[in-house]
Amino acid sequence: MTGLTSTVVRLKLALLRNGLRQSGGRRAAYVASAVVTLLFAALQLIGLIALRGHEHAASLVVLLVAVLGLGWAVMPLFFPSGDETLDPTRLVMLPLRPRPLVRALLAASLVGVGPLFTVLMLVGSVIAVAHGAFAYVLSAPAVLLGLLVCVAFARAVATANIRLLTSRRGRDLAVLSGLVIAVGAQIVNFGAQRLGSAGLGQLDPAADVLAWVPPASAVGALDAASEGAYGIAVGRLVVSAGALALLVALWARTLTRLMTAPDGSTLQAAEPAARDRRTSAGLRRLLPGGRTGTVMERSLRYVWRDPKTKAAWVTSLAIGLIVPVFNALQGTGSIYFACFAAGMLGIQMYNQFGQDTSAFWMVALTISSTRDAYVELRARALALLLITLPYATLVTVLTTALLGDWARLPEALGLSFALLGAMLATGAWTSARFPYSIPQEGHKNVAPGQAGLAWISILGGMVAAALLCAPVIAVTVWLNVSAGGDRWSWALLPLGAAYGASVTLLGLRLAAPRTAARLPEILTAVSRG
Amino acid sequence: MTSVRVRNLWKRFGRQVAVAGIDLDLPAGKFIGLVGPNGAGKTTTLSMVTGLLRPDQGTVEVVGHDVWRDPVEVKARIGVLPEGLRLFERLSGRELLRYTGLLRGLPGAEVERRATQLLGVLDLAGAQHKLVVDYSTGMRKKIGLAAALLHNPEVLFLDEPFEGVDPVSAQIIRGVLERYTASGATVVFSSHVMELVESLCDWVAVMAAGRIRAHGTLAEVRGSAPSLQRAFLELVGAEGRDTGSDLDWLGGGAR
Repeated sequence: MTGLTSTVVRLKLALLRNGLRQSGGRRAAYVASAVVTLLFAALQLIGLIALRGHEHAASLVVLLVAVLGLGWAVMPLFFPSGDETLDPTRLVMLPLRPRPLVRALLAASLVGVGPLFTVLMLVGSVIAVAHGAFAYVLSAPAVLLGLLVCVAFARAVATANIRLLTSRRGRDLAVLSGLVIAVGAQIVNFGAQRLGSAGLGQLDPAADVLAWVPPASAVGALDAASEGAYGIAVGRLVVSAGALALLVALWARTLTRLMTAPDGSTLQAAEPAARDRRTSAGLRRLLPGGRTGTVMERSLRYVWRDPKTKAAWVTSLAIGLIVPVFNALQGTGSIYFACFAAGMLGIQMYNQFGQDTSAFWMVALTISSTRDAYVELRARALALLLITLPYATLVTVLTTALLGDWARLPEALGLSFALLGAMLATGAWTSARFPYSIPQEGHKNVAPGQAGLAWISILGGMVAAALLCAPVIAVTVWLNVSAGGDRWSWALLPLGAAYGASVTLLGLRLAAPRTAARLPEILTAVSRG
Repeated sequence: MTSVRVRNLWKRFGRQVAVAGIDLDLPAGKFIGLVGPNGAGKTTTLSMVTGLLRPDQGTVEVVGHDVWRDPVEVKARIGVLPEGLRLFERLSGRELLRYTGLLRGLPGAEVERRATQLLGVLDLAGAQHKLVVDYSTGMRKKIGLAAALLHNPEVLFLDEPFEGVDPVSAQIIRGVLERYTASGATVVFSSHVMELVESLCDWVAVMAAGRIRAHGTLAEVRGSAPSLQRAFLELVGAEGRDTGSDLDWLGGGAR
């Protein structure tokens, strides 16, 4: 180990240790995640060892390593701040040559839970497929190559995108990462279910191709060696080694450029202005005038432009669709699950002023009467309805279509609308009564010390919304159990809609005076963090 | 004539007293500087005067209307640029001005006209379609100033409008503010840069540790001291703090 390599590795260890020393919560989180990761890795390892000798073991293992490689490539884009030694721009003032630096950073990357997890997976994969003396001989270099390709991949991607990652857009991207993982998990889950029913044989064609793609090619080589195809085995190993060399070279080049060229990311660029203006004018024409239209326009813009708001919306939209539709697809669904969409989307009405962050002062300065506060809240509810009303209807119709239970569509829609109205009403009231800050950086959605407040407002609000819906639910139940009630079930649609609308109006009326009277307190509450 | 009248204003945060009983009458039509070291209570005072923070005690009147009892009259007449609070940063500069103007109840065409002029004068026309989140500090102060001026308020409150602003932007802001006070409006701004206050203001209030130490025209506050800086240091009692004996390794010796 040269001086620089050991220094950087020790730097990485020190950063890790100091990061953990900052707070007990962080330490606990780190230890817990490490334990879970390693347990998972150990289980996978056992599973892979058990797979040894299975007909399709090679296909599965190749696919697994390919996914692992993909994970390594994508990880740094979503967790840019996770590893401080990963950011070479911090070392820019030091007199370092690229070659030793690359070596040192690569060595430092091998320290951590992630690489350990990868090694365990690779070892498991090797055990699953390696048969025969030749394969055994190749297994050690295969594991090493696989690991190095993964790590170099991550480093090359991170370095190439470091300007993006440290910029505003990159941080915006990071906020959405949790979402990508959640949706990805759903897709993997769905894929696994299909595989479970259709058999692992389906994987073979994909695995044949992936066996040549690094880092999966390292494991592919062992599979070929086990089957006696020595030429192919060596070829796949050479491909892996070539990929490693290429990645390291690429990385070294971008690193050199990064550390010698000036950062141009803060320079002002000419803006494509015309397009921006046209779209905003189009949106404006559709909205009402005065405060209502102005507030709606800004709320709708924020759904798209503000990463936190966007992430919350996409999560609500996705879960609101997935739960009823997937349940219907699996044949376990009920039409009443469609109300889930209305409930999830109604949550967006909660903590309206917290979503403004401390920019709420701009709103506070223009609210001077209860009437102003009422119009402000109503406009926010209308902006929400513009998306939620068609979406909740769509989800309900879709669920009904999947279940083929058209007779119950009116009552499901009526219940959805009533619930949506109740959520808007309680959301408006809690926005005024229990505002809390949403930190703009990182994954947290509540400022320290306000978590209890956030939970009380959301949970209490949801319980209250359910209670508010009780009359409509009662009528629905009554019509379903009473003889001849089915003839009147259509009436639940207008009833639910009217009930939802009046509850919303009532909620806004109650929330407005509280908002107008508590402007400074709300501003203080939403300005933390 | 008095534009802002403050009586016995108090604010405590926990056990710390941020503002300890301020009485102040700010003359109308003047360029007024509120000066004091960091932590003197300038931001807290301005927040309470503009209705963004509720005082523990005391009254504030702006152009004859009580800030807390008559917000309709007051909020239409004041413009504010706070320090340390965000703007709606995911709007472009022009969208932000449009949003503010319409919330203030101005007609759409008038908002567009004023926004175009303000963006031009403040040298933001080239960045008007850029999101405010991508603006530099100087550009943020300028767009915040534009938003505060849009409805042509009678009194403008600016908290550290020159903090972190480059000389070119500072000169532009100065020009706009001088033009604005020439029309008879009042500007109240806080700063800890004495040279700036001295060159800009007609009237000064010196604040330290939550209290007003001196107030009056620039000449009155300066008194016999050669500069406002000196007068200020004497007022807050920071004069003659010796840094000569330590730091001998820096060279240059004690002076």
